[in-house]
Amino acid sequence: MIHHLKTTTCALTLGLVTALSSTQLFADQAKHIEVSDPFTREMPPGSPATASFMTLKNSSDHAIKLVKASTQVSKKAELHTHINDNGMMQMREVPFFEIPAHGQTQLQPGGNHIMLISPIQPIQAGKTVSVTLTFEDGSSKNVTMPVKSVMNMGMKNGNHDDHSHHHH
Amino acid sequence: MTNTQKTVSIGLSLFGALLLACLFYLFIEPTKDTEKNPPPPQAITSEKPTGGNFTLTALDGQHSLSDFKDKLVLLYFGYTYCPDICPTDLGNLSMAYQHLTDAEKSNIQILFVTVDPARDTAKRMAEYTQYFNANIIGLTGTEQKIAAVTQKYGAVYLKPEQENKENYTVDHSAFIYVIDKNGQLQTQLPHAISPQQIQNTIRTYLTQDKTP
Repeated sequence: MIHHLKTTTCALTLGLVTALSSTQLFADQAKHIEVSDPFTREMPPGSPATASFMTLKNSSDHAIKLVKASTQVSKKAELHTHINDNGMMQMREVPFFEIPAHGQTQLQPGGNHIMLISPIQPIQAGKTVSVTLTFEDGSSKNVTMPVKSVMNMGMKNGNHDDHSHHHH
Repeated sequence: MTNTQKTVSIGLSLFGALLLACLFYLFIEPTKDTEKNPPPPQAITSEKPTGGNFTLTALDGQHSLSDFKDKLVLLYFGYTYCPDICPTDLGNLSMAYQHLTDAEKSNIQILFVTVDPARDTAKRMAEYTQYFNANIIGLTGTEQKIAAVTQKYGAVYLKPEQENKENYTVDHSAFIYVIDKNGQLQTQLPHAISPQQIQNTIRTYLTQDKTP
């Protein structure tokens, strides 16, 4: 009990120090993140959860952490990853996904993903899902994405990445 | 000093003292959180699993591996509440299946065996497997029967400690076991293998089986 109290107090104090020392005039991390190919997987019948996937690109000179996802379509949204421990797949919640400076992080089946837990309505192909991503500095980005069936996700003839949708 | 200045300086001193105490605590006193972590899951052995026959329950009754003696069987262990791993692999299996010719389809059988028999009834397994549209048979059984089958195939599963007692997740190995016409375990495919690779494997074994 005392151990917990001490830990909490320290976490709060150190948190305050961090917050004070990294004061930013603008919360603009969301502006530096570009989201491509987002989709949510259609739920198999009776499934208690499904997941959203996408590619996050960071155009800034600093690593950016995605710290939270929220949505109206399910009771909870969590950031999850899978650890492949010698073939044993373990799904675990993580505190953030880091997108490296001028790099990208992929959320994909079997890896990092945004878990949508206890959907309010069945999430079915043809519908769209909106997820709000919140970054470390508190800035956020809304992503609207299609729902796709698992049977339409692989076996593509072409690769989306070959043809960038964004020409600068 | 005005009252405001006093308050501010006392506040700063207290904050400083608290900060020092915290740094001291964090660096000097070791955290004990590691003691609370659950023990590591049962290791997957490097020995080749033997495979072998088994009988489990589907919605339409009992099925044995030996019932599919003239077919190539793809066997997968998972559970219907599985949030990501099983839909990924079963989706890939389904894609591979749907791109086979009718003749090839009639020569293979996909079996999905639950590692969560407490929640996965035969009815639930049937509803779930039907979704994947690949003629998959969903099989369940008693805890003991499931444990015996997974052991034969070297599949492992473990329910980690978690707060939610109803909507829990299960850690499990996620291989696709390839069993030939004679019921012999031939190979295992890793998690997240592509539909194309599954299809190639199916075709390789179907062709091999034709030439004795």
